[in-house]
Amino acid sequence: MQEAISYKSYMAATAGGRSRLHNFLEGAGNGGEHRLVANGCENNVTKLVVENAVIVFGRRGCCMCHVVNRLLLGLGVNPAVCEVDEEKEEAVLHELSVTNGGGVQFPAVFVGGKLFGGLDRVMSTHITGELVPILKEAGALWL
Amino acid sequence: MPFSNLPLLVYIYQIWEEEGIEAIETWNVGEQQELEGDEESKLSIALDINSTCAKVAFVIISKSMNSPTPQFVPSRLSIYEPIHQIGIWGENFKRNGNPNTSTSLIVEVDNKLENESETTSHEMLAPTNNYEQEASKPIDKIQRRLAQNREAARKSRLRKKAYVQQLENSRLKLIQLEQELQRVTQQGLYMGGVLEGSHIGFSGTVNSGIAAFEMEYGRWVDVQHRQICELRTALNAHISDIELRILVKSGMGHYFELFRMKSTVAKADVFYVISGVWKTSAERFFSWIGGFRPSELLKLDPLTEQQILEVCNLKQSCQQAEDALSQGMEKLQETVSSTVAGGPVAEDSYIPQVATAMEKLEALVSFVNQADHLRQETLQQMSRILTTRQAARGLLALGEYFHRLRALSTLWATRPPEPSLP
Repeated sequence: MQEAISYKSYMAATAGGRSRLHNFLEGAGNGGEHRLVANGCENNVTKLVVENAVIVFGRRGCCMCHVVNRLLLGLGVNPAVCEVDEEKEEAVLHELSVTNGGGVQFPAVFVGGKLFGGLDRVMSTHITGELVPILKEAGALWL
Repeated sequence: MPFSNLPLLVYIYQIWEEEGIEAIETWNVGEQQELEGDEESKLSIALDINSTCAKVAFVIISKSMNSPTPQFVPSRLSIYEPIHQIGIWGENFKRNGNPNTSTSLIVEVDNKLENESETTSHEMLAPTNNYEQEASKPIDKIQRRLAQNREAARKSRLRKKAYVQQLENSRLKLIQLEQELQRVTQQGLYMGGVLEGSHIGFSGTVNSGIAAFEMEYGRWVDVQHRQICELRTALNAHISDIELRILVKSGMGHYFELFRMKSTVAKADVFYVISGVWKTSAERFFSWIGGFRPSELLKLDPLTEQQILEVCNLKQSCQQAEDALSQGMEKLQETVSSTVAGGPVAEDSYIPQVATAMEKLEALVSFVNQADHLRQETLQQMSRILTTRQAARGLLALGEYFHRLRALSTLWATRPPEPSLP
């Protein structure tokens, strides 16, 4: 079931206000939950990476992020999601790149504290069947 | 003349084909040949009926009215030389036979008859019914004329062969052109809409990108068809696995090339790719994010239990990935829609909303790329699971499937129009 984003919540989101959670979950369809961790907080980004088995960094409202999240949710993973504001985007990217040796692009998936890759990598490893074992190993998946 | 002309022509045509006789000089059929006085030309065709040349027939025709029935006069047969149009004696026929042997073959036609028409040999043979004239007539002239007639007949046959060949080629081309036309018509309708909408000058680059893709895709389809035929013959011929592997690799590479092409044109105009106008109508029916669904690749029957399990897993993963992408597309639609609808409606300015929506539509290019990426990965995973032979069969099945879809589109396009209601 899809709901159109109501004008009010849209305005609230664009005003940089509170419920980004509302905005992000709007397109969630069958109501999957993902933990919205923080918004544009570049200071503890590295901490976030370490703390969470699986975390996805992406721009707010990015549809590719949505795809990654849907895929992970479909596997039974409950990924942490960090939506980054546009102005903080550069800083976050920079920090992530520094600690992970290389160019990081949104959406960026971190598994087990390490950079896993973008949507491309997630897709290909999923098709080859490698993704699930990796997730299990990182403790993101049980069963 | 008791023999009908056409079978005779066929016989002569066949014997010439089999024997491969060639004259070296060409000869202008329309040239007037002079007859000396009331000389009647001789017409003799040596016919040989034996086990090797079973299709040869003998007919002797002459212009004089002396005898209505042709007779066999093998003793009179001799080899004649074709004459160059300026009167130079050319090389003789390759077959140099004893006239009395069963394999000699000469076609000689009356000059006057052949001057009436240069395209039909049978007319050359038509009116006369007499044969053998006195041997005292100047042999040279007779020989010359006979040779010229032979040459004319040969040329006529070659022309006919070339014509038939041309007809066949034209037929194939016509079918191809019809398909092309249909594609282009669809494209034309689409482009009409695009050009109306974009008043800015980007339509030039967009058009050229699309035009280039159209051409490339046309070629791609042709190569694809060729590859399928190669695969089919290879599988039927039971060639070695190594050779089959090469075919499989090139087949897969061909698909990857299509994805590259699509990626390029998506940058020019992503709506063009997504709308699927470049595909035929039946293919468009199944279109998913600008192409076929990756799960459509998984139609075949694997053999071993292990394979069944792997294919099952692949099917599931594929489905999950497709679903994720589909949901992402839906979200994008929502976002764009709400962006376009957003802002105060009371005011007349909508440029900011539309501009923002344009930005968001950039994501569509990523979707097309991701969808193609998924197709590519699925193809590769299938090739890992299957043996070479199974992969070859799978590629053949896939190619054949799309080929049939295209044929369905053509058939659909040429269906009889519905009767218009009064």
